[in-house]
Amino acid sequence: MKLARYLRPYLLFALLTPLTMIGEVLVDLLQPKLLSQIVDDGVLPQNMEVIIHTGIIMLLTIIIGGACGVGSSAFSGMASQGFARDLRNDVFDKVMRLSFQQTDRFTTGSLVTRLTADITAIQQLVDFSLRMLVRNLMFLIGGVFMMMQLNVRFGLVIAISLPIEVLIVVVIMKFANPLYTIVAGRLDNVNSVMQENVTGARVVKAYVREEHETERFDGANGALMTANLKVMKLVALLQPLLMIIMNAAVIMVIYIGGLQVEAADLKVGEVMAAVTYVTQILHGIMMLSMMFQSISRASASAKRLNEVLETEPAVADGAGADCTEKGTVEFRNVTFRYPRSGGRPVLSGIDLKIHSGESLAILGATGSGKSSLVNLIPRFYDAVEGEVYVDGENVRNYKLDELRSRIGVVLQKSELFSATAAENIAWGDKNADKAQITAAAEIAQADEFISAMPDGYDTRIAEKGASLSGGQKQRMSIARAVLKRPEILIFDDSTSALDLRTEATLRQRLRESLAGTTVITIAQRIASVKDCDRIAVLDHGRLVGCAPHDELMKTCEVYQDIYRSQVKGGEG
Amino acid sequence: MPPMMPGTPGSKGGPGNRHAALLTREKPKNIKRTLGKLLRYIGRSKYLFFALLAVMLTITVLNLLAPMIQQIAIDCITPSESRSGIDKSKLTETLILLAAVYGVSALMTYLQGIFSAKLSQITVRTMRRDLFESLVHLPIKYIDSHSHGDLMSRMTNDVENISTTVSQSIGSLISGVLTVLGTFVIMLTYSPLLTLISLSTIFLTVFVSSKMTKYMKKFFVEQQVILGRINGHVEEMVTGYRTVVAYSKEQDAINDFRSMSDELRRTGIKAQICGGMMGPLMNCISNFGFVLIAAFGGWFSIQGWITVGTIQAFILYSKQFSRPINEIANQYANIQTAIAGAERIFEVMEAEREPLGGSKPFSADNVKGDISFKDIDFSYVPEKQVLSGLDLWVKQGQKIAIVGATGSGKTTIVNLLTRFYDVDRGTITIDGTDITEIPVSELRRSIAIVLQDTVLFSGTIGDNIRYGRSDATDEQVKAAADKAYADEFIERLPDKYDTVLTEGGSNLSQGQRQLLSIARAVLADPKILILDEATSSVDTRTEMHIQSAMVALMKNRTSLIIAHRLSTIRDADKIVVIDRGRVAEAGSHEELIALRGSYYKLYQTQFAGSKT
Repeated sequence: MKLARYLRPYLLFALLTPLTMIGEVLVDLLQPKLLSQIVDDGVLPQNMEVIIHTGIIMLLTIIIGGACGVGSSAFSGMASQGFARDLRNDVFDKVMRLSFQQTDRFTTGSLVTRLTADITAIQQLVDFSLRMLVRNLMFLIGGVFMMMQLNVRFGLVIAISLPIEVLIVVVIMKFANPLYTIVAGRLDNVNSVMQENVTGARVVKAYVREEHETERFDGANGALMTANLKVMKLVALLQPLLMIIMNAAVIMVIYIGGLQVEAADLKVGEVMAAVTYVTQILHGIMMLSMMFQSISRASASAKRLNEVLETEPAVADGAGADCTEKGTVEFRNVTFRYPRSGGRPVLSGIDLKIHSGESLAILGATGSGKSSLVNLIPRFYDAVEGEVYVDGENVRNYKLDELRSRIGVVLQKSELFSATAAENIAWGDKNADKAQITAAAEIAQADEFISAMPDGYDTRIAEKGASLSGGQKQRMSIARAVLKRPEILIFDDSTSALDLRTEATLRQRLRESLAGTTVITIAQRIASVKDCDRIAVLDHGRLVGCAPHDELMKTCEVYQDIYRSQVKGGEG
Repeated sequence: MPPMMPGTPGSKGGPGNRHAALLTREKPKNIKRTLGKLLRYIGRSKYLFFALLAVMLTITVLNLLAPMIQQIAIDCITPSESRSGIDKSKLTETLILLAAVYGVSALMTYLQGIFSAKLSQITVRTMRRDLFESLVHLPIKYIDSHSHGDLMSRMTNDVENISTTVSQSIGSLISGVLTVLGTFVIMLTYSPLLTLISLSTIFLTVFVSSKMTKYMKKFFVEQQVILGRINGHVEEMVTGYRTVVAYSKEQDAINDFRSMSDELRRTGIKAQICGGMMGPLMNCISNFGFVLIAAFGGWFSIQGWITVGTIQAFILYSKQFSRPINEIANQYANIQTAIAGAERIFEVMEAEREPLGGSKPFSADNVKGDISFKDIDFSYVPEKQVLSGLDLWVKQGQKIAIVGATGSGKTTIVNLLTRFYDVDRGTITIDGTDITEIPVSELRRSIAIVLQDTVLFSGTIGDNIRYGRSDATDEQVKAAADKAYADEFIERLPDKYDTVLTEGGSNLSQGQRQLLSIARAVLADPKILILDEATSSVDTRTEMHIQSAMVALMKNRTSLIIAHRLSTIRDADKIVVIDRGRVAEAGSHEELIALRGSYYKLYQTQFAGSKT
């Protein structure tokens, strides 16, 4: 397993665990032997001294054993928890370096599960293996050894019963494992129907589909029960079968032991000890069978983690850049297609130079490549062909931080974080003081509603801003970008949830306060962008025009189309 | 089976949810009542329950018998004065009896597994179904005012807890109690003195284990809390990943994560050491009991009070004694968790259901579509008035555009018309009938809504379009999609109308999702249509298509549109400007422009410079 290397720093603890464990197991194994001594040398010959003497030895060994046991769990805790922490950190580091399409591919939910549940599963397995695997193996081997010592014939009992037990476990697990996968899938179905009905309650009610949804749920619910019962019935076989074998072995031991006692080869106390050993050995097998279950589960987790760890970040740092300009962007014959999507490129042959301090709008239909185009500037994605230059330097030459510090992006979907309103805005500039934050919020038309919140700027934004309206979230993320004061500011359709009046005021304020900043605006409405210095019109991934509004009205057919659809008759 | 499995099979759900359940788990508020209701659920499978009980009783008796028989067998091979050598025939007899007891016991154990699986699964299934049934009938108000995560946690974690408790805890609790009682009686009959001695170690066991459990719980809760925080952090950083990257905050995110990660490690070690002490300590105590029994037993047998076989039996019994006691202690905590969970589940089940509405005959098919809002007052939370004295009329077949600033109460109008919420004062009528007097289902059947946030359900695209009319033919579905300009992209998908949507349609673009929800409304074909900013994120050219489709769709239909697009607004028969909870202006585009009021201002700011 590739993840084993994470255990290396904790090798000492990992080794100490089984070592101390040996102490504990030895003591446990010694007990039946000491007991047989008490019976055979103390009770039967009626020797009280032996009884007390052996009893004291037993007590002493027990204390040593207990100390060893505590030690081993402490060591294994240090090893497995350290292991888990390092693994977790590495996985998260990796996640933070992935590109968007990579995180998108994993999905948020699955990344969360990988970083928590999967790692916990593996951590438990490590802990389990260090303690239980070693412990049970030692019980097995030690128990067999001790029994052989008592009488070689007992070995026969073990030689027969042990393989049968192992076989039972293997066969049942083999059949059960695929069933567990089915159960997990059906549980997912049940949960997703529930989730849909919680989040989509309005639609369910609006279409009066309560009965239908109940039926749908009933189906998923029933299927889950069937699957669960199937696997539970199968697994219910395991214990009784193992018990039968184990108890048969006990009976055999007593019988064989009886014959031996008659032949005076064996003492009664030894038979009693043998019974205890048999129970211990076979109990060990049961425990090991449990472990196989958790191993198969953890190996699935390990696979999922390796998947993340082995993903190579698609975008990497450059060597460092030497800028010759400030606030300029240039696309040189840029072609772009999303990895894996195949087919026709999203952008093809784009040539466009954006000047310092210019305000440029990008207009076009959905899927015309507007967002893709601006995503190339901060290297959210890399162009497939052609080059993108920022401040006169190829973006691939920059260190990512260096490049992105020059650029502010306000996304279409505003993303806020669980922190106070002020902290969320201060993302743009860690060192900003309260006045600067308020000023930025004021420009973004966010000051008013933030001030009206219960604790003003100190109000905590809960659940990614669930309590805020779409427009409020957008304004807060605009404030964040304004505070950053980047050379190049990109608005990716980020005022879509604002009502008309607010949007107009916001634009006005931005124009006033962002003098000298290169502003790139993606928009749907011509009205929002017609005052821009130039408007770039994209159509099916091609740049079909880039000029001021008036000129486009004369020269660009696509632009005229859009204009007509939006403003027809609007002059009345 | 030893409770060693890390998590029950199939128990999913984030640890974050789990910790929420855990923190509140300490004390169920009304144990008796909840337990009673829970038992009634189990009681639905009465015969199964009693069969399970009978089987468990048998197992317990057999488990108690086995050591006794073993003891007889050992005594058979113990040399004694009364006979020479061993009593072979009696030994064989005894061993056969032992084999029989073991055999029956194994069979019963299997039956127990089957019965308890069935009992728990049936119980949980019924419970889930009832819970879901309550959920779909909850008023929107309830769902809006409760955290979705919490609701989901009740439906998953709490139900799952009950399932494990029914299948494991109840069984081991009953068999535990039976075993302890039985063992105690048998031990007494063998030797009251030795019983007393083994009891002393049992008290020690109970004392130590209850103390340790308390500590372990503390660390466990701590661990879950940190895990929950990590969970939240990862979720936030991944969902907000674009922003994290845009602001180069990766390192900060990593640093935060690392500190939480290390905290988790430290707590984890503590929890593990604490948990790890449990085993050896219990082992120590039980071995200590072992020694006591051996020593005293030895002495007693020297005195001739007991036989050697009795010592052997006692050692077995004392083990049998201490195990269930530990288990009972553990199960007690589990059962408490389950009851607390059941309480939360019953809370949802008992929440007031959405009223069915009035009984006045009303058929969605015969609706004409005259709507009036008369003098409406409404607030979601007291003191924060959303609507005050709102008056609004929409005539049959009219297109009304509702405009206004964010938070002016536009969406509320939709919530009230569909009775997602009820007015505080005033009346809303459709065709002159007060909507509170007619069945809610008929009211809603007469309205189609396209919401701001598109909601799609898992299933195929066809299923989703058919949502409002399940009996529609494939041709009708296609026609509706065609009208909504969705047919084009659907036909390009590999499985066309049979394409399965994943995670609520995350495999479609926002615009495509919206087209689908429009197609759904088209197919439902009601007399009243509500569009809540539905077109806001479809791009202009697609919107152009949709608008022409809408013009056709809105024909003969009363339509309420909450829109931001002037082009949409201008096409409306009437524009209603909502301001501070009341209608500020109403009229056609031309009228309102001529009025030079707030609509004019709105229009001016938006189209500043576009005037000729």
